[in-house]
Amino acid sequence: MAFDAEKEIGKVLRGLRAAQAEIGKTYYRWRQVALELAEDGVDPLQVGLRAAERFGKDIGKSMLPRLHWLKGEAAFLLNLGRAMAGLWNVDGGVATAEKGEKPTEVFIKCTRDPWPTWAKEFGVSMKEVALCREKMLKSVLEDVSIFFNIPLDLEVQKAIPRGEGMWLIRLYKKEE
Amino acid sequence: MAKQLFEWDYAGFPGAKTYPHLFKPIQIGNLIIPNRIKYAATEENLNGRDGFVTDAGVAYMRERAKGVVGGLCFMQGVYMDEKRQGQGYVGQAACWDDKFIPGLKRIADAIHDAKAVAGFQLMDCGRVGAVDVEYGHGPSAVPQRLRIFRPIKEMTKEEIKEMIQQHIDAARRGIAAGFDVMEISGIVGYLVSNFISKYTNRRTDEYGGDIRGRMQAVVEIIQGVKAVCGPDIPVGIRLCAEELLDDVRGNTPEESMETYKIAEEAGVDYISVTLGWQESIYPVISRDIPMGNWIHLAKRAKEHVKVPVQMAYRLFRPDLPNKAIGAGELDIWEMCRSMIADPLMPKKVLEGKEDEIRHCVACNLCLARLFRDAPMTCYINPVCAHETNPEFTDPPPAQEPKEIMIVGAGPAGLECAYMAARRGHEVHVYDKRDTLGGTLNEARKAPYGDDELWTCVEYQKKMCEMAGVTFHLGSEVTEETIEDQMPDAVVLATGPVYPELPGGPHQNVVNLLDVMRGTAQVGEKVVIWGNRKPGIGCALHLARQGKQVTLVGREKTAGFDVNPSFKWRYLIYLRQNGVKVYNDCDIERVTPEGILIRTYDGYRIPVACHTIVNSDRVANEALKKAVQSEGIELFVIGDALVPRNLSSAVHDGYRIGMRI
Ligand SMILES: Cc1cc2nc3c(=O)[nH]c(=O)nc-3n(C[C@H](O)[C@H](O)[C@H](O)COP(=O)(O)O)c2cc1C
Ligand code: SF4
Repeated sequence: MAFDAEKEIGKVLRGLRAAQAEIGKTYYRWRQVALELAEDGVDPLQVGLRAAERFGKDIGKSMLPRLHWLKGEAAFLLNLGRAMAGLWNVDGGVATAEKGEKPTEVFIKCTRDPWPTWAKEFGVSMKEVALCREKMLKSVLEDVSIFFNIPLDLEVQKAIPRGEGMWLIRLYKKEE
Repeated sequence: MAKQLFEWDYAGFPGAKTYPHLFKPIQIGNLIIPNRIKYAATEENLNGRDGFVTDAGVAYMRERAKGVVGGLCFMQGVYMDEKRQGQGYVGQAACWDDKFIPGLKRIADAIHDAKAVAGFQLMDCGRVGAVDVEYGHGPSAVPQRLRIFRPIKEMTKEEIKEMIQQHIDAARRGIAAGFDVMEISGIVGYLVSNFISKYTNRRTDEYGGDIRGRMQAVVEIIQGVKAVCGPDIPVGIRLCAEELLDDVRGNTPEESMETYKIAEEAGVDYISVTLGWQESIYPVISRDIPMGNWIHLAKRAKEHVKVPVQMAYRLFRPDLPNKAIGAGELDIWEMCRSMIADPLMPKKVLEGKEDEIRHCVACNLCLARLFRDAPMTCYINPVCAHETNPEFTDPPPAQEPKEIMIVGAGPAGLECAYMAARRGHEVHVYDKRDTLGGTLNEARKAPYGDDELWTCVEYQKKMCEMAGVTFHLGSEVTEETIEDQMPDAVVLATGPVYPELPGGPHQNVVNLLDVMRGTAQVGEKVVIWGNRKPGIGCALHLARQGKQVTLVGREKTAGFDVNPSFKWRYLIYLRQNGVKVYNDCDIERVTPEGILIRTYDGYRIPVACHTIVNSDRVANEALKKAVQSEGIELFVIGDALVPRNLSSAVHDGYRIGMRI
């Protein structure tokens, strides 16, 4: 049966874009509620960091069934890096993971991040965007490290949470 | 007894013969204005963030005052509350304290230096205000339609009384500063119109309800301001003749006319007819609206009130107001953007130098800048907002006159040519086409008013003729030409080049310029590659011929290079003409059926078409090496440097012409 591929893909994409546009807005609307209900004098950044930790831990747990050690350490790290890059991609960003010079490191590169734009719309500082992203990714690593018994960490080497955003993150195995 | 501030005699001027109705006097209150010309109040964001007048603001007004040749020259609307809820622009002039009087006096003096009548405007921006504070104020707390504006808090009765008093106090300060006419601004959704409209005034007390109730605050303002102005200083008001807010149940045109009558009863000496709100979905002053489109509203106003009626709104040509005044449908010709684009516009009309006018192209960049907290800029006038800088207003003669070869007679090349020639250089302009204007010859064919862009070339042509530029049309410059001529400097204004689509030459790919010229074969289903303004113009041009058009491009939104105050028009026209748009995409491959596009995040979509129009442009590297290798001074301007828009071409040309 003949079908119009452009029409069908277009429909799916429009749905995806609309859903992606809601992701950040929903998050920041809830942030607003949390701040309204919080005690006077609470630091919004602390609320953001707590949320980032909660998100990160939960995402880390959801990664456990999908990650494996079958192809060794370098492949494991690359897969984990890709899964972390994927967190941006589902939101409508563009990110990739690449092997580093050492087998125990992977670089996650995000060249387009929708979060700064959403944050700006809700008057949230770019500092909060950057620190929460770092916190979330670090929290992802907590259960993954324990489960696979490998000490993991990451460092944010570049963070430009402005406009379309830009990130460079080194994910690595800590020296024992 | 009516008085006239300055003597003017227009009898010997050609413009007074061609447009007799524009250059005859009129009485407003007890003041005689020698002609029918008014520079309407215009924010320019040139004042300090604290509301104090600056040198830049004074110089800006001084130029416009010269332009009105004795007529009315209004300074921008001032905000009047210390809390700054009425402040709509970061650089808006303030008048909430006597400390602002000396600065305001500088403006009144500058206007008087040109023997023009100085107008002062009171403007609380209401719903469009609070630019630097958290909440705006209004008669009722109606949510904002546009997110860029602040939430509104409903005013208490005490606050309304305070606001009325602020108008009266500010009027007193305006008089102390030396202004001759007082105006209350009830334009485009500012506070006065918020009170009047049933869309934004939901009050049930004496300041709301029916049209008389909704006019109550305005009546009190008029009466209070009249009382401080006395018999010698006329008081006018700008009021909406049509709000164009039917979709949110705003006032009817009949109600609007009722407001005119009530204002007249309250004692105003003139009414300035306005229309539309910032929140209206209808365009009012953009290029897609034909000139003179709204003049019938002045006629309607004249049928309802006896006081003089003034109006602006796309009256960019003197014949339009001249005819309307002659027919008794209008009394005073107001101008805003025509005099942003050319401060001396009406003076040139009077002197019979209409071909020396740099016409506004109704792009609304000036407005867009204000809403982005930036000082005013004009798309077409590089001097605008640089009036304090003599390098811009009156570039000094070149220290060392040179022989200059300009390659390309488009807007960038022409602008540079006359400026350089005016400064004493010997300028030769070459173009392989046998006409002036470069790619604007094709761009002007796009629908919705783009033909008006051509006024830019007409102006530049005249300026070049006056400055003694030599043209070599139909003559392509090659490396050999440069070697033969060996000029002292070369300016490359060659326009952009169109890179090939991925996968090499394709039979069904045609160039944008050929399509606009009508020399390319275009099938029924068309893809336009490139979602900037040239692509949009072409898409609309073809869609209006009945083609099925898809616009594809790399920019995140179509019309990325068009300012937001105009872009929304294009987005609506694209939709109305059934143009499908894919933004943020690349062409992965040209296929036998059409193209395969790839979204920024990797999704691929096949789009079937018969023809692909290439509107994608890149910088033009041709001739650069040849010039450099001869050791000749080189400048690259306009799209040849970086493909942008007409404005960049003009500004590049002017600036290099100033410096070379
Ligand atoms: C940049 C800009 C600033 C303006 N500022 C004011 C203002 O301060 N007060 C006012 O009553 N109208 C203001 N207006 C409206 C103009 O006075 C005028 O009514 C409108 O632009 C239509 O006239 P035009 O087609 O001649 O530009 C402004 C318009 C523009 C484009
Ligand atoms: S910016 Fe555009 S609309 Fe404004 S005055 Fe200049 S040409 Fe006219």
